[in-house]
Amino acid sequence: MASLFRAYGRGLGVLLLAIAALWILALIVVPLGAMIEQSLWWKDSKGDITLQIDRLYNDMATLQLDAAGETDAARKAGFEAQIAQKQALATELEAQETNPPKTYGLANFTRMSALHFYIFVRTIFYALMVTALALVVCYPMAYAVALASGPRKAIVLTVALIVPYAINELLRVYAWLMILDYRGVINGILAWLGMVDLDNRGWIPFLENPSAVFLAMIYTYVLFMVFPMVNTLETLDRNQIEAARDLGASSFRIHRRVIIPHAKPGIAVGCIMTFMLSAGSYSVPAIMTRGQGGDWFSQLVYRQFYESNNWNMGSAYAVSLLVVCTAFILIMMRLFGVGLRDIAK
Amino acid sequence: MRGKDVRLDQVSIRFGDSIAVQPLNLTIEAGEFFSILGPSGCGKTTILRTVSGFIEPTIGRVLIGGEDMAGKGPNERPTALIFQNLALFPLMSVAENVAFGLEARGVAKAERLKRAQELLELVALGGYGDKKPSDLSGGQRQRVAIARALAVEPSVLLLDEPLSALDLKLRQHMRAELRAIQKRVGITFIYITHDQGEALAMSDRVAVMSRGRLEQVAAPDTLYAEPATPFVATFVGEQNVIRGTLRRISNGAASVDTPLGPIEGREVGTPAIGAPVLVMVRPERMTLGATRDNSIPVTLKARHLEGPSVNLECVTGGQTLTVTLANGPAMRELPSDLVLGFGREDARVYAEGALAHG
Ligand SMILES: Nc1ncnc2c1ncn2[C@@H]1O[C@H](COP(=O)(O)OP(=O)(O)OP(=O)(O)O)[C@@H](O)[C@H]1O
Ligand SMILES: [Mg+2]
Repeated sequence: MASLFRAYGRGLGVLLLAIAALWILALIVVPLGAMIEQSLWWKDSKGDITLQIDRLYNDMATLQLDAAGETDAARKAGFEAQIAQKQALATELEAQETNPPKTYGLANFTRMSALHFYIFVRTIFYALMVTALALVVCYPMAYAVALASGPRKAIVLTVALIVPYAINELLRVYAWLMILDYRGVINGILAWLGMVDLDNRGWIPFLENPSAVFLAMIYTYVLFMVFPMVNTLETLDRNQIEAARDLGASSFRIHRRVIIPHAKPGIAVGCIMTFMLSAGSYSVPAIMTRGQGGDWFSQLVYRQFYESNNWNMGSAYAVSLLVVCTAFILIMMRLFGVGLRDIAK
Repeated sequence: MRGKDVRLDQVSIRFGDSIAVQPLNLTIEAGEFFSILGPSGCGKTTILRTVSGFIEPTIGRVLIGGEDMAGKGPNERPTALIFQNLALFPLMSVAENVAFGLEARGVAKAERLKRAQELLELVALGGYGDKKPSDLSGGQRQRVAIARALAVEPSVLLLDEPLSALDLKLRQHMRAELRAIQKRVGITFIYITHDQGEALAMSDRVAVMSRGRLEQVAAPDTLYAEPATPFVATFVGEQNVIRGTLRRISNGAASVDTPLGPIEGREVGTPAIGAPVLVMVRPERMTLGATRDNSIPVTLKARHLEGPSVNLECVTGGQTLTVTLANGPAMRELPSDLVLGFGREDARVYAEGALAHG
């Protein structure tokens, strides 16, 4: 900080710090803080509060009838006192109903149902699968692009990779939907070949299988896996590959000992990005499964917010996912022995 | 380890339309320290990569130890290449680098690390096995590269300007070191350089190349004393070049008419009578004072003291001639009008041809 002041002078230094602080505040602290705060409390509406109020009003109505039919002044006053008392209680309960007291605690996290927890674990597992598959698919691609000889080939490959990304993500997912649907492209071709019978619903239900979601996700997020890898692979001195070959190494050993170690930071970044995107993806599973193939956790979060209208629970779900993703980042960095500095590169 | 001979048989290499190496024949003896010398872009690396198997010759054959290498990849040839930039593996330790070739051959870990240690000791880096290449100096990295290449027990070691990245002092030290290592292991070294001093100092024989063509293959002494072409004559060492017309040849003795007067010399090749020729005289072959064969009066323009020797820059008829003389008291006070003399044997007469410098 002292060096900042020295380099830019006091006024500008303070300004720069203020901008940086604002940046961090606006992008990280505020949204995250709001989400975490939301997840840590719940409205303590004892479920039967409405019932109690209804009962009170019923009682009051009865009492009023009683009071109206009563001639004895003393007993009438007694009824009215009771009504007033119940009215006061009802008002209090009504106030609680419209603005229930907040209770802070971890219950939003611990109250997750067994089914939701299962979906949570399954989503993490699926996201790991997508990441692993994407890695397997993308590594050869990245290698081909990065080491393509001649500028022309590299351009062609890059364009082939980027052009699909000029199309909106939703459109791309819908395209896969059309390909894999019951009466989609693949089933159509199979029917044409006489291998399935569409008229008798003898199609292959691709969409009911989680792998349909995997496929669309890999397709959707390839670029995030490929680009970091291409970036690191491009910095590899090709002479190292040739030296390894010259020393008698097989292609497999060259990849394992020379190329992959060099590409590690890129692989780590690619895996982190793909994992985060797929673990948090809403549109892809929502569109691809259409409720047929089991929910992903992101869909549960969505429902907590917009269907159950329980923002506290929704926030808790979202925070849980965030924690897992953060853990994943740390594990990847540990596993690949890369620091933040390498990733930033 | 035993050296093997390398034979290039009518080898020619093209990249698309451009010819990088013109058809050439070359035999490198087993156990020889052979250098390929030539200016940048003349095709040295291309030849080396052809021998190591990264490039297949467009035409012709490469034979190593008498065996045709057609269709054999770099990993199947008894060669090891040391790259222009060394290409050490930066993420592996020095010992792992050296052991890599053995690892690729499936040698057990303990065995290969033991072998790596022996090789590191051979190149005087015994205590550096655990370091990373980036922790070493340029000369040490150089030696790691050599140890790594030797680990696979190649019959032929190919070195692509391995000293070019080092500073002058280290380069001179490494020359001696390389030569000593070659003597110790006894395998064939093919050494590429564009530094003539390096080639002359280390090699048993040197091939001089220019524009994809072999100009001359000879021992360093022969190359210096009897260059076969104007290119070699001017590329290796210094020359005074005097243009003229060939008047007469008899018995290898050539008489040339030049703007500086008639010159008697030795013909090289067979220039035609009346054709333009180049007369080449090395600066150290000239003396002060007239001689029986050739005498050229000149004006002294500058004196450059080199220490043990003195270079005199003289002019005559618009041409500059340089004389290199042993330093001595006589060199302190020189008159401005001098006569340069040289023997018939010291003037070599070539048919007009390309020179190394312009
Ligand atoms: N892969 C290639 N494709 C096309 N042309 C090439 C290729 N490799 C080399 N060349 C050309 O072949 C010629 C010889 O190149 P080479 O690398 O053998 O030169 P060199 O003698 O090693 O030069 P330097 O001393 O600069 O390393 C050059 O004109 C070069 O441009
Ligand atoms: Mg070269």
